[in-house]
Amino acid sequence: MPEKINLKQTKATRLPLFGLPRLFPFLKPYIPKILTMIFLACMVSLIDSSIPLFNRYALNNYIAKGTVKGIGYFALLYAGMLLVKLAMDFTSANMVGEIEMSIDRDLRNAAFNHLQELSFSYFNQNNVGYIHARVMSDTGKIGVMCAWRMMDIVWNGSYVLFVLIVMVTINLRLALYILALIPIAVVLVIFFQKRLIVLNRQIRELNSAITGNFNEGITGAKAIKTLVVEDKIQHDFTEDTEKYRKNAVHATHFSALFTSSVTMLSSCALALVLWRGGVLTMEGVMEIGTLSVFLSYSLGILEPIQNIIVTFSELIAVQVNVERFIKLIETESDVADSPEVIAKYGDTFNPKKENWEELYGDVEFKDVSFHYPDGTEYVLEHFNLKVPQGTNVAIVGETGAGKSTLVNLVCRFFEPTSGEVLIDGRNAKERSQLWLHSNIGYVLQTPHLFSGSVRDNLRYGNPDATDEEIWNALRLVSADKIVERMEEGLDSDVGEGGDMLSTGEKQLLSFARAILANPRILVLDEATSSIDTVTEKAIQDAISVVIKGRTSFMIAHRLSTVVDADIILVVKDGKIIERGKHKELMKNIGGYYHQLFSRQFEEMEAKAI
Amino acid sequence: MKNTKEKFPTKTSLVLFYLKGSVHFFLLGVIFSIGVAFLDMVNPKIIQYTVDYLLGDAESEMPVYMQIIVNLSGGKEYLKTHIFVIALIVFAIAFLCACFRYFNKLFNSMAAEKLICRMRDVLFEHICHLPFAWHSENHTGDIIQRCTSDVETIKMFLSEQITSLFRIMIMLILAVNFMLQIDLKLSIVSLVFIPLIVLYSFFFHNKIGRAFENADIEEGKLSAIAQENLTGVRVVRAFGREKFERERFETKNKEYTKMWIRLMRLLAAFWTSNDMISGMQGMAVVVMGTIFCVQGNITVGEFIAFVSYNAMISWPVRMLGRVISDMSKAGVSIDRLRYIMNSEEENDKENAITPPLDKDIEFRNVSFSFENGNTEILKKVSFKIKAGETLGVLGGTGSGKSTLMYLFDRLYNLPEDGGSITVGGVDIRDIKMHYLRKNIGLVLQEPFLFSRTLYENIGITKKSAKMEDIRKAAKMASLDETIRNFDEGYDTFVGERGVTLSGGQKQRTAIAQMLVSEPPIMIFDDSLSAVDTETDAKIRAALDKNAGQATTIIISHRITTLMHADHIIVLSHGELVEEGKHEELLDKNGLYRRIYDIQIQGGGEDIA
Repeated sequence: MPEKINLKQTKATRLPLFGLPRLFPFLKPYIPKILTMIFLACMVSLIDSSIPLFNRYALNNYIAKGTVKGIGYFALLYAGMLLVKLAMDFTSANMVGEIEMSIDRDLRNAAFNHLQELSFSYFNQNNVGYIHARVMSDTGKIGVMCAWRMMDIVWNGSYVLFVLIVMVTINLRLALYILALIPIAVVLVIFFQKRLIVLNRQIRELNSAITGNFNEGITGAKAIKTLVVEDKIQHDFTEDTEKYRKNAVHATHFSALFTSSVTMLSSCALALVLWRGGVLTMEGVMEIGTLSVFLSYSLGILEPIQNIIVTFSELIAVQVNVERFIKLIETESDVADSPEVIAKYGDTFNPKKENWEELYGDVEFKDVSFHYPDGTEYVLEHFNLKVPQGTNVAIVGETGAGKSTLVNLVCRFFEPTSGEVLIDGRNAKERSQLWLHSNIGYVLQTPHLFSGSVRDNLRYGNPDATDEEIWNALRLVSADKIVERMEEGLDSDVGEGGDMLSTGEKQLLSFARAILANPRILVLDEATSSIDTVTEKAIQDAISVVIKGRTSFMIAHRLSTVVDADIILVVKDGKIIERGKHKELMKNIGGYYHQLFSRQFEEMEAKAI
Repeated sequence: MKNTKEKFPTKTSLVLFYLKGSVHFFLLGVIFSIGVAFLDMVNPKIIQYTVDYLLGDAESEMPVYMQIIVNLSGGKEYLKTHIFVIALIVFAIAFLCACFRYFNKLFNSMAAEKLICRMRDVLFEHICHLPFAWHSENHTGDIIQRCTSDVETIKMFLSEQITSLFRIMIMLILAVNFMLQIDLKLSIVSLVFIPLIVLYSFFFHNKIGRAFENADIEEGKLSAIAQENLTGVRVVRAFGREKFERERFETKNKEYTKMWIRLMRLLAAFWTSNDMISGMQGMAVVVMGTIFCVQGNITVGEFIAFVSYNAMISWPVRMLGRVISDMSKAGVSIDRLRYIMNSEEENDKENAITPPLDKDIEFRNVSFSFENGNTEILKKVSFKIKAGETLGVLGGTGSGKSTLMYLFDRLYNLPEDGGSITVGGVDIRDIKMHYLRKNIGLVLQEPFLFSRTLYENIGITKKSAKMEDIRKAAKMASLDETIRNFDEGYDTFVGERGVTLSGGQKQRTAIAQMLVSEPPIMIFDDSLSAVDTETDAKIRAALDKNAGQATTIIISHRITTLMHADHIIVLSHGELVEEGKHEELLDKNGLYRRIYDIQIQGGGEDIA
């Protein structure tokens, strides 16, 4: 079955108060800082808005009166105010940065830590890229919103407020002219902003499509050349770039109209002030300094208003991110330890190892029925199976037949819908997940290594392992040669996701890692990937070493594994249809296992003999 | 192959090449921006004259354009009683200015978008035609970065930095000119601050740029930790290492946060101190202006105008330092693109031919090693394939079997002294490359699906592929039934941004893709490895039936896949060690026999 890709719609539903109440727990530690920041922003905008008043004072008291008496004090006051502003500016900018990054950090930690406890159904339903974006990019956007956007709104808002107060105080009639223009400005900005948001989103989408095209053209170079489809691919590419160009120019057309009309509007304000103010000044009703203040304000007030509206529209755009983040944080794990279990055994991050019992290795399925959380069809019904310590269980069946279900239940990655899984005779739920996981070794079909040294990777399941133990484990799975060949031995870097190594090498190292963890229960998912016969043999030998003496569950693809297994479970269409030892199953001629097993043997023998 | 001279020897030559088709838009944009700058300067002048002539009684020289405006609007005395006319003039100029501003932005954007469109198209086309060897030498991520972020940097450089540099310079010249007209001494007071602000901002941005790069690297590391944790979630859980992961992430997160807070502190210090310098400049102008005004050196109107001009240049001057420092980054980006653009495209010999290819194939003494590597990948490999027959190739990892096929398909160039590969006696080096590749259906080991529907993917080689052809090919590849089980059938979107197919499904798609074009030569490069044995047999049977005339090469490490071939060769470490039919090879008791034994014992054979 093709894997479903998460294509969640990015439509913003409006949260009350921009989602701030739901983010409150994250803002709480910084409330004193946020309040100080708001206060400082108000003060700075107060100073900024009062600068034209200094010009007015100079015009009215010195120039109009023709004297420079006391201008020294004036300059001193002016400079002092600038210094105060400098200090406040610096403190508030620092604070905003700190608030942004601290909130950002806390959100990221919270998301990451929550993910460590979420059950696998979440990871099956959401792809890695989607989850990764929640942790890394949503948090950043929310941080910016809580700090810079808030600051912007406070500064611009109080600037507009102060200017209006000053204008109304010094000349009400002239102030009313400018006030009359503000609604027009608001309507204008909202009109354009709405369209620009849509246009810009389209452009971003087209841009990422083009990046995708580049990616395809470069990673698919081999395929493009062998298929000789250069012209077609290129043609499609130019169609995309042309579409992007058209959209981008169209968007600029709007944004150019936008800025032109806003500046035009402030010129209107200027013209109005010049006309009405000029008349008033000629009549001697108004001083020349006051006229100059109005001239400055009429030019300066529209930009903050525009900023406020743009900021609000940005806040609305962040709603999607807030929502997605909250959804992640509030997702509950399908598999969770009960409070009693946590009280005794500790939780994921604070285990109480002193209370942990030793795990012996008996596993039993008792009347287990199970369906996946995202499906309704039962894949197991009233399933019973006893696996005594040391038993090797092989699970065989076609690709996609549901072989990993049993393994998922043993590891408690999922819990039975009904019935119970017993570990050493006790329900798995009676002890913590971490306790179980610390005793399980897991080797994946596609081995996963972490970036870092070989040593770090091998010690992943047993941080205290000595180099000697590491080398022993490597020798057991004949991976010692691989490490010896590497220039820095155990200190060699494996690259991101281990990509400096071949799949076979990664496979062998992950076996060594499993051995070092010395688990009581071992889960193996054999590789089907294309590895040459010699490496396959090495892996094969490694497997037989690793499973010796341990309870093991193996999703098997190779004949030898199956033949030697203590119990073979044959899976078809998600259900277990046959079980038993190899010999028993082979007796059932015409049975599914018999068919599977004989198929290629017949083919080989027929040709060979 | 670093022969001949480079196509773009200098940075300028590449920039000029990219600018083709957009340069006139840039020029138009610049012309309008001059208009905007000039009109912006007129308003303070009007205010100045309004204040001086209409409200006060001072008399001073009036520039020609102001005289024209005054005369046109009815003369000084008329204006004195009809101030609204002045308001109308301000309004008219504002309207004109708005129009200019609109055209300036529009032309600039038309230029910028045309430019980036051309850059992308040219790069993509060039990359498509670069030899495969180039692709394998260069890291994908690096090339993509060059094609996206470096292209963006150059676009910014040409469409924003250069143009704003130009605009700022013009504005400065005009403002300084107007200021000088008002008063020399006051101008000096204002202008001494400019070099200070520009230099301060330049050095700061130069420094902070590196800090930003470091922060980006740190972010990448943090992001990688999260990525690895998520992809390896099973390993983390199975080893019970959640606590370790949490600590690792939190530590890195803390470092990263600290780094940014430090960086922001620097930014805050810069912005506020620069703000302070600008504030001081404003203050100096107000204080000195007041004194000059009281002394009678300048009029009240001139004072007001001067303060406006000073405010006008304060922001652009602060931008100037930043623009200059950002511009230095563009040079690096241009060189990074120059590297791609100067790499040589693959090409045919002058008199390349297109002979029929359904003929016997011969590999004679084929030897090959990579340019930078000294180990030989292939050592004197020779064998023949008769037209219409099937050749099996057995070999482990690193045996050179894929390289052999890449040489045949001319993905790698067979050097003149590396032996020869001929089809019907014609050396493949003399055959047109695209013709050769079209006639060799090479199914890759790791198939690549395009971000399109399955229908488009399978039919990608054929412009006019009909549904029947597609389904016929899909049936032969045992894929038809699988596809029809998808909700959207053949319209299912696959590839990077679509549904993820399993390895076997991908391989079968690639086989169907190849079958659609019905080539006379078919190569399966281990392309059934992820398909189960039953399906493998089905596909081979279908191929035997339907594509009987085609010459076929099957590469595999699975004996069951190869044993029916007319002829089998065994490669080991670049050498042909055994050849013959299945039975003959078994009797030889060599490598083939050994692998056969391992596999028949159940060592490597898949049962599912």
